[in-house]
Amino acid sequence: MRIGKLAAATAVLGATALVLSGCSAPEADSGLDEGSSVNVAWNQAFYAYNGNTSFGNATANQNIISLTNSAFGYYNNTPEWVKDESFGTYELVSEDPQVVEYTLADTATWSDGQPVDTADLLLNWASQSNAFNDPNFDPSAFQDPESGEITEDFPEGQVYFDGGGTGLDLVTQTPEVSDDGKSITLTYDSPFVDWELVFGSAGQILPAHVVASYALGIEDPEEGKAAVEDAILNNDTEALAAISNAWNTIFNFNEMPEDPALVLSTGPYVITDLVADQYVTLSANENYEGDKQPSIDEITIRFIADPLAAVTALENGEVDIISPQATTDVVEGLEGIDGIEIITGLEGTYEHVDLQFQNSRNPGVFEDIRVRQAFLKTIPRQEIVDTLIKPIIGEDAIVRNSQIFVPGAEGYDESVENNGSSEYAEVDIEGAKALLAEAGVTNPEVCILYANNNPRRVNEFALIQASANQAGFNVTDCGSAEWGGLLGTPGAYDASLFGWQSTGLGVTEARANYVPGGLNNLNYYDNPEVTAALDELNGTFEADRQIELQQEVDRLLWEDAYGVTIFQFPAVTGVSERIENVDPSIIAPTIFWNAWEWELAE
Amino acid sequence: MATFVIRRLVASFFVFLAATYLMYILTALSGDPLEDLRASTAPNAAQLIERRIDLLNLDVPPYLRYFIWLGGVGGCFIGQCNLGFNVQGQPVLEILGQALGQTLQLVTFAAIVAVVIGVIIGITTALRQYSTYDYSVTFVTFLFFSLPIFWVAVLLKQYIAIGFNDFLRQPTIPPLAIVVIALALGLIAAGIAGGDLKRRLIAGGTAAVVTGAALAYMSATEWFLTPSLGIVVVALTAIGLAFAVTAISAGLRNRRALYASLTVAVLAIVLYYPLQFLFVSMTLPLFLGLAIGTILLSGAIGYFWGGHDRWQSARTAAIVGFLTAGVIALDEFMSYWNAYSNSSRVRGRPIATIGAETPNLGGNFWVQGVDSFTHLLLPTIALILISIASYTRYTRSSMLEVLNQDYIRTARAKGLTERTVLVRHAFRNAMIPVATIIAFDIGAIVGGAVITERVFAWTGMGALFQNGLERTDPNPVMAFFLVTGTLAIIFNLIADLVYAALDPRIRIS
Repeated sequence: MRIGKLAAATAVLGATALVLSGCSAPEADSGLDEGSSVNVAWNQAFYAYNGNTSFGNATANQNIISLTNSAFGYYNNTPEWVKDESFGTYELVSEDPQVVEYTLADTATWSDGQPVDTADLLLNWASQSNAFNDPNFDPSAFQDPESGEITEDFPEGQVYFDGGGTGLDLVTQTPEVSDDGKSITLTYDSPFVDWELVFGSAGQILPAHVVASYALGIEDPEEGKAAVEDAILNNDTEALAAISNAWNTIFNFNEMPEDPALVLSTGPYVITDLVADQYVTLSANENYEGDKQPSIDEITIRFIADPLAAVTALENGEVDIISPQATTDVVEGLEGIDGIEIITGLEGTYEHVDLQFQNSRNPGVFEDIRVRQAFLKTIPRQEIVDTLIKPIIGEDAIVRNSQIFVPGAEGYDESVENNGSSEYAEVDIEGAKALLAEAGVTNPEVCILYANNNPRRVNEFALIQASANQAGFNVTDCGSAEWGGLLGTPGAYDASLFGWQSTGLGVTEARANYVPGGLNNLNYYDNPEVTAALDELNGTFEADRQIELQQEVDRLLWEDAYGVTIFQFPAVTGVSERIENVDPSIIAPTIFWNAWEWELAE
Repeated sequence: MATFVIRRLVASFFVFLAATYLMYILTALSGDPLEDLRASTAPNAAQLIERRIDLLNLDVPPYLRYFIWLGGVGGCFIGQCNLGFNVQGQPVLEILGQALGQTLQLVTFAAIVAVVIGVIIGITTALRQYSTYDYSVTFVTFLFFSLPIFWVAVLLKQYIAIGFNDFLRQPTIPPLAIVVIALALGLIAAGIAGGDLKRRLIAGGTAAVVTGAALAYMSATEWFLTPSLGIVVVALTAIGLAFAVTAISAGLRNRRALYASLTVAVLAIVLYYPLQFLFVSMTLPLFLGLAIGTILLSGAIGYFWGGHDRWQSARTAAIVGFLTAGVIALDEFMSYWNAYSNSSRVRGRPIATIGAETPNLGGNFWVQGVDSFTHLLLPTIALILISIASYTRYTRSSMLEVLNQDYIRTARAKGLTERTVLVRHAFRNAMIPVATIIAFDIGAIVGGAVITERVFAWTGMGALFQNGLERTDPNPVMAFFLVTGTLAIIFNLIADLVYAALDPRIRIS
């Protein structure tokens, strides 16, 4: 073929193309979703919808669950306990024996339309009370490593609920259930003053009829509930084994399950999409009739591990609310962004120094209270806050002055005035020297345990060391990356510097720290007066008296030179101007506590 | 050969075994896996600690706990893999699968593009050795090579994502910027063109004028809001590709190959409108099917045009067909850009800085494609920028070495065209060492995107490794190590075998 022919062919084809171009190309439907979402960044991915199990017990899950599952109450950002009467009411019928009656409201319904009833509460009790568990049974031998599920050779008839430890374990007697299926009565074996948190912040109520359909193969919800209720009331081991297995495993998913029954909700939102390690989408629950009516139709929580990546994502409009780990880098990044609000505040963890009352590395160094007082007087608490925390959250950075109360909670201010913490408000080198001289000790060595892989704690240690050495102490470095495992080890250190994480306001939580043999009593502290006050607290239901006793304990601890609290961890939240009413709480679920009150700005 | 492979595998196996032991101990001794629970005042902390100790066998010292882990891995050989659990209690095997998927999605495309661009730059710098172009390219690639990736990522996010998205609000380019960009591209073109001053001026001038005109047009028509190529640009590109590909692949003197390419190009232009009707209901299998079909059909056209070397024509036509089809697909993707960008989920800020997709976007095949593009763009650029330097240098030095060989001089002396000498005699041999380097890199790249993944919020192998280290959690770290270590061993072996297969001078025994 010669080039001429080719040119001709090209011309013909080109002309055809031009003619065809007269026809309009078909308009395709882009298929784009019309909805819009408020996007929130969180640093860890959601991976389980049952937050009661040791598997699902994590903030990343609890945040989501706090929006999808209602309970008899929740914490607001004061922080204080708020009853949710649109879910149900409760009443302390008698203190001794302690009897509590719970009554569900008519507005408490599952998102599939089923009412929440006593079968659900009974299941919650059964799973949290350990009443049916065999204490000698070790479940991990029967878990399938591929799926995490219980394997087939799991002994049949073995009841094992992977929950508990939340207070319901004090109710071993099977609860009484009303005939209308709306009330349940718990009788405690021994008094439990944090009883309000049971069926509240501690323990999420899961749908009994869904568990029944998986465990017992009963599709009808009414029958399913009845079967679960029967199994629990009659201690039917065979059925309970199946129920416990289902309860442990069916809610463990990090991708959207095929069965929508697994994401049933009783709260303002319901999970509508979940992509592993990327995001979870919550949509307003249409069947929700309670008080927490949501204003925003859809909230998507995206998982961003890197704090600075979250900041740029906020700047780029991909997320509207971020609350990454607070550092000066994050704050500086946020300050450079237009159109956002920066909310600074505090977080539940608090930094503190504890002194070893026994089993210290340098034997007996802190036996004399004057040495303890002298050492604590040298700790530059204000300086630590000024140099390490102020740059992050500015004027919100405060020295925490109470061993017991969370700043802002009822009783904190009053306790701070009277607990004697003011003795340690300023560094007092001269006073410390005088106390040491009085005690007749020269140059005592104090070895401090802290996380030496954590830059902030390394700085704190350096500040404490410099200050204490001026008063004649010889502060040495017991820092370790494995500080957690070393805590409480006899002879390992003389003082420890770390953070306690408060998860709630339960008055019984402090007990483990201060009574001899308590789980968190890592410095072998033993003061009969404190123990007595805590014992009384354990049987005191009246709120005012509880606070009095807590203040008493607080005062005694400072008087004994137990240690010092330093600061509350800083929190920074960046919120796009298009969202209003975001007001983080100091305790979990921090930014999410009032998500139903968030509004789009007009 | 078989002895060589077996000997290598056995040796690698024992080295790897020792390495896993070391890795396990180092990770397990680096901290305290119970740290988060120890600092908790929750009432059930004691119970949680006990369960975690049970689940992860923390009561067994690491020196022995390793063998529990090893036993689980050994199960893989009989189909019962057990990589243990992470601190959260999730089975590692399951999260490993998800992580591997994410990482492959992230690195595959970046790896291919980096190789292609790296080789092209390497070849061109070798051909223009010691020119301004050579020096500038060397400088730039090394600059990027030495930048830490987290910093590159921050720059990319600031300028390409946030900056470009801000620009889209008012997508007009200031005249000064147009002039600067046009001149810059002109200089680059002049550098590549090489030769005498006239040749360089023509190349540079043309490039500058075309770029300037294109940018001015884009600015005036707000092209960035509703980008499209249209039939005219598609047609010009198709014809241009036909000539360019033929020039390199077969030489313009091979008229049959040229006609074959032009036939394919013209066919593509003619099919441009009919294809729109097919595009409406596009799915991934159909898309891949069309791509393969295009290659086969174009190849067939080339084959039947024939010539003294049918397969050469077929190859040329197939490449032209594939590239032209790509341009048409690009045009179609572009037509959805505006709808995507203005959707309620994207809100006018299309270039993303985090994640793999826009949540709940919906959308058809094309919209999904655009969404993947906007999310992959930044991490891909970041990965390419840092990995391109090595490919460039290896290709350049290998090409230079080959060009100085005697047989190249012989080939030139025989009167072969420059194209034949470069493409057939030099390029193929220069690629032998590069091929082995690519094989190495494929093994390394799966584990090499740790930081990139984190800054762009992808939860792949890097996240698995990093989260494991942060929480003193040996099982996920070991899963990462198993995969990357095995890949390293296998691809090192493959690299050696490939070398032997490509270069007859090398014998494996």
